[in-house]
Amino acid sequence: MAEKTVAELLQQTTEDSRMMDAPLSMRLQAVADAVRRLRPEFTAVVDRMVARLEANEVGRNAPDVGEPMPEFILPDQDGRLVRLGELLEAGPVVVSFNRGHWCPYCRLNADGLAEIAPEVRRLGGKIVAISPETHRYGAALRDYADAPFPVLTDLDNGYALLLNLAFWVGDEKRVAMKESGFDIEPYNGNNTWMLPVPATFVVGRDGLVKARYIDPDYRRRMELDAILEAVAADGSGERRLRSA
Amino acid sequence: MEMHQIRYFLAVSRTLNFTRAAEECNVAQPSLTRAIKQLEAELGGDLFRRERPAAQLTELGMRMHPLLKQCYEAAAGARSLATSFKGGKVGTLRIAIADAVDIALLIPHLNQLKRMFNTLEFKLLRGNSKDIGEYLKKGEAELGIAVEIDRDWDRLDSWPLFTERFQLVVNRCHSLAGKQQVELEELQHQQLLSRGYCEYAGRLGTALRAGDIDIGGSHDVSCEHDLIKLLEADIGIAIMPCSASTPETLRRAEVEGLDVKRTVQLYGVAGRERTAVGAAVMKMLRGADWNAFAQRPEVPTKDAKPPLSIIAA
Repeated sequence: MAEKTVAELLQQTTEDSRMMDAPLSMRLQAVADAVRRLRPEFTAVVDRMVARLEANEVGRNAPDVGEPMPEFILPDQDGRLVRLGELLEAGPVVVSFNRGHWCPYCRLNADGLAEIAPEVRRLGGKIVAISPETHRYGAALRDYADAPFPVLTDLDNGYALLLNLAFWVGDEKRVAMKESGFDIEPYNGNNTWMLPVPATFVVGRDGLVKARYIDPDYRRRMELDAILEAVAADGSGERRLRSA
Repeated sequence: MEMHQIRYFLAVSRTLNFTRAAEECNVAQPSLTRAIKQLEAELGGDLFRRERPAAQLTELGMRMHPLLKQCYEAAAGARSLATSFKGGKVGTLRIAIADAVDIALLIPHLNQLKRMFNTLEFKLLRGNSKDIGEYLKKGEAELGIAVEIDRDWDRLDSWPLFTERFQLVVNRCHSLAGKQQVELEELQHQQLLSRGYCEYAGRLGTALRAGDIDIGGSHDVSCEHDLIKLLEADIGIAIMPCSASTPETLRRAEVEGLDVKRTVQLYGVAGRERTAVGAAVMKMLRGADWNAFAQRPEVPTKDAKPPLSIIAA
């Protein structure tokens, strides 16, 4: 029998982590620890890629707190066009950049966002996830998380590059990913092996970034409480009244 | 990667001269050189050999060029679409669709654009695959949707949208109506309405002959509208692709043993500046989930959605 791929090995770990009653960072860490234990050689490749991105401060020039978030018009998983400016008319917007439905960390991230979605809505905010995948795979991420928010397709990473968030996976990681069961070409509808640096922005009603979390280490994401705090500070719900 | 770094990279690739590239980008040369050095550091190797009189792309540079260009064009497209929205003007979508391709493919996307941009105008061109190629060449159309355009022109970009089967279409009163599936032999001695405008008409004929099917008679039809009218009058039967829409008066069935498939492709012209709306439609079509078109009507859809398991491949 063929040796199990990293993708197969991670399936159960991802499900276990998803059920953990713990902050998102710990759920993600549990998966990262499992990969390190099960496939140290794969983790070594990941660490080298992350080190390369960190050394070059990838993502540092993405829109910062206080700066305007560029407008987007992107199709969701059903092909419906979604415009940031339109969403902002109703309240603050959480914009979450994801690598894809195949990524366990993105799955847990989307799952976490789905968990806080009712609270975000109560605070007057909205959530959108963005990935470079075609609609049917965006739909797969959405289905996985049972998310009440849309997953938008940023084909060829155009919007991600506009935000200086696109990066090239590189040969070593590409080979390791393919061997591990993560061939992203059919998902992304291209062979560029570009991905967005996972990032979370909370955009205020005035169109300015209120909070951001960008980490070239894709195993780390913005903590759910921090998202809620930023939404509350800009939203129209109870938390805002309380802090006023 | 940063957008300006890629812009500078593309300018040097074009001019093969750092000074000229800097002028073209309206930036001081040291800034351009620094940005390219940063890009090289991030990509993990030199992109140019800095030679005189001309800079040369390294092997890595040549490999990265199409990838970076594609990403850059997407970013430029995203920006110009947002600008178009702000300015209230999105321009005219010029798109050519092959006679054998149903306009229904495009309608949901046109609807979305219309909802977002109430000033959108479009120009819809029709013709056979050769005509579509010509429209693109001459610049009358920015995008084309067709099955097979002869690749005698190397500037034609293409993206496969979906691959589909062909089905039998008959009048609801026809003796073959109501069946989910028919055998190839059942087409024996039927009057076939041949879609002369479809690039696959010849291949379908060959497949029928290969199956020893003796067609009772063949009629050449020149457009889908006429074909539908003739089918509605029960004058003959037709073999149509899954994505072709048919009225309620007609019935469809799978043909067992008919192994002909076609791939509907999106075409564009490489190196030609795209309008904001053209770039947007191109990405909408490439990103779309075509299963509903490629698989209808009642066909098992076990592959319609990717499995939820994390097993990717």
